[in-house]
Amino acid sequence: MKKPYFIITFLLGLTIALVMGRAILQNTLSVSGVLVNKIDQEISYYKTQNAILSEQLLTASSLASIEKKAKKAGFVSGKTAMVIKTSSSLAVKP
Amino acid sequence: MMHQSIKDHGDHAELMKWRFPFIFSIFVLFFLLIIGRLFYWQVVKADMLSELAQSQYNGSVSIKPERGEMKTSDGFPLVANKISYLLFVNPTQIKNKDQTTKTLSSLLNVPRASISALLLPGRLWVAIKSGIEAREKERIENLRIPGVGFEEGYARFYPEASMAAQLTGFVGKDDIGQDKGYGGLEGVYDRLLTGKQGYSIGKYDALGRPIISESTTVNNGFDGSDLLLSLDRSIQFLVENKLKEGTRKYGALGGMIGIMDPKTGDILAMASSPSFSQAEYWKYDENLYVNPFIANTYEPGSTLKPLVMSAALDAGVIKPETKCNICGGPISVSGYELHTWNDKYYKDTNMIEVIQHSDNTGMIFVAKKLGADRMIDYLTRFGIGKLTDIDLQGETAPALKARSAWYDVDLATTGFGQGVSITPIELLTAFSALANGGKLMQPRVVVSIENQDGKITKVPPRVLGTPISKKTAEVMTEILVNAVEKGEAQWCKLKDYRVAGKTGTASIPLKGKYDPSSTIASFIGYAPAEAPKFIMLVILEKPTSSIYASETAAPLFFDLAHNLLEYYDISPSK
Repeated sequence: MKKPYFIITFLLGLTIALVMGRAILQNTLSVSGVLVNKIDQEISYYKTQNAILSEQLLTASSLASIEKKAKKAGFVSGKTAMVIKTSSSLAVKP
Repeated sequence: MMHQSIKDHGDHAELMKWRFPFIFSIFVLFFLLIIGRLFYWQVVKADMLSELAQSQYNGSVSIKPERGEMKTSDGFPLVANKISYLLFVNPTQIKNKDQTTKTLSSLLNVPRASISALLLPGRLWVAIKSGIEAREKERIENLRIPGVGFEEGYARFYPEASMAAQLTGFVGKDDIGQDKGYGGLEGVYDRLLTGKQGYSIGKYDALGRPIISESTTVNNGFDGSDLLLSLDRSIQFLVENKLKEGTRKYGALGGMIGIMDPKTGDILAMASSPSFSQAEYWKYDENLYVNPFIANTYEPGSTLKPLVMSAALDAGVIKPETKCNICGGPISVSGYELHTWNDKYYKDTNMIEVIQHSDNTGMIFVAKKLGADRMIDYLTRFGIGKLTDIDLQGETAPALKARSAWYDVDLATTGFGQGVSITPIELLTAFSALANGGKLMQPRVVVSIENQDGKITKVPPRVLGTPISKKTAEVMTEILVNAVEKGEAQWCKLKDYRVAGKTGTASIPLKGKYDPSSTIASFIGYAPAEAPKFIMLVILEKPTSSIYASETAAPLFFDLAHNLLEYYDISPSK
């Protein structure tokens, strides 16, 4: 019986290729952990900064803060309101 | 010479004879020691080392959920979250305990003795102080104190400070130190707001960096849902300021104001004074955590008269022009002589004038015409004696007396709002039926709930019933407009708008009698009368500038009503 040299060679080659591939991949991934860790830290940092800025924004846009700033800028509450009574404009009169 | 050489060789052989076994035995001993040590680590201590290794490369990180926010009707977060840190210490890493204690004590404003007592040897993790803000954390971190670390988390943040504190409630701790909502919305919606904690399990290298070739299990928790409230931030702000001003101006012990949209039951504002700050709730008396607008009971006095009058009109036992034939003087009921509030009597007065003069004798006439059975039936239909089921924690509602306990005098006094206890929210809800064509709406604070995926679930308005017909509601509204135009509070009415309303000066029961020197002054009303945009109840507790509502609660009501009508851009109706 003729020995299947081609298949044996192919399987051997494939095995070597897969082993090498796995080694390369493992090697790459093992270094990526450092990068992932760095990215995680950066995400955490920006998340914290974002939360701090949101807090400042909300405090600055609160009504109590706006009232204080408005008073400081010289605004006073209006005592009277001008009202236009119910007569229709000329354009809509028949 | 030869002999000497042979002798040396013999000595050398003798030496070698001992040296080999000696070196050999040292090697054997050395290997035995190694084998013994290996046996110790690999057999005796195998389990412990295995656990230690597992704990080193198997890392579990808990993912804390963010508590849901509460947003006012303009989308502004009334209750939000901020980054907060917990400072902890690893006592085994501390180099100088005294110095560390001293430094932390001065930085955190915590007594030295408290910190020192916590730093016991053998402990690996000791929490010192929570609620540390980002800037403070950075400042402490820069000092690089050995053994001191921080754990990041969330804490409640109130951009509008203590606004609507008794309505929102606060977040405290439960028995096991977890966050828990107490009172108001935090209490009712605690589970929805809390969310669910998640965790991530993965493999990490010696420096704690993730090994991403290894599998990582992530159990996703979820953040709490956000609540969108019916509360109008501008109105709430205005109401709180006016209430503080009003209680000071009229020398009142306290006060409360509730504003509702009668068409939907939406609470637009709810404020009480005194109140507390949610962020520092532990600094206040526990009694202040309770929302008096939904929990305190009082005798409503004359503000109940329109409900009794509308019940009688709806039942058809009287008409607006019906004349009172017993109103010429005080009325004696079961041995009690009942008077009007100012001892003025109007013979043959009609029902419109009874409300206008807030005539107690006229209301006794109405109550008698109505009878106890129908009185109880209508009050129940208006929701008196029952919880409104508003979505706030802590609501109370004293039940109406059983029919068998109603005597003639009870019927008479209930006619003018004494001898019956209700909560302000019950009165506001019942009165809203007059403003909403006879339909009674359930009061609500949350109009929709948004989950972490952005899915919005709307809470639809709910009709509780129709205690009176639309026609009766319209007639009653006109009677109330007349009361504002010609009644005791006419001096402070709005010139350009038609407002329907009623004053109430209720006596306070004290040791079986009524206290003659102090009252609960209130005003309830809605505007514009023809298409009400809001209904508002103003209550002042024991005002001292005057005991009468027409001189205290009424001007405060009209001041606020004027602001609200302007705010809503409603054109004058007169």
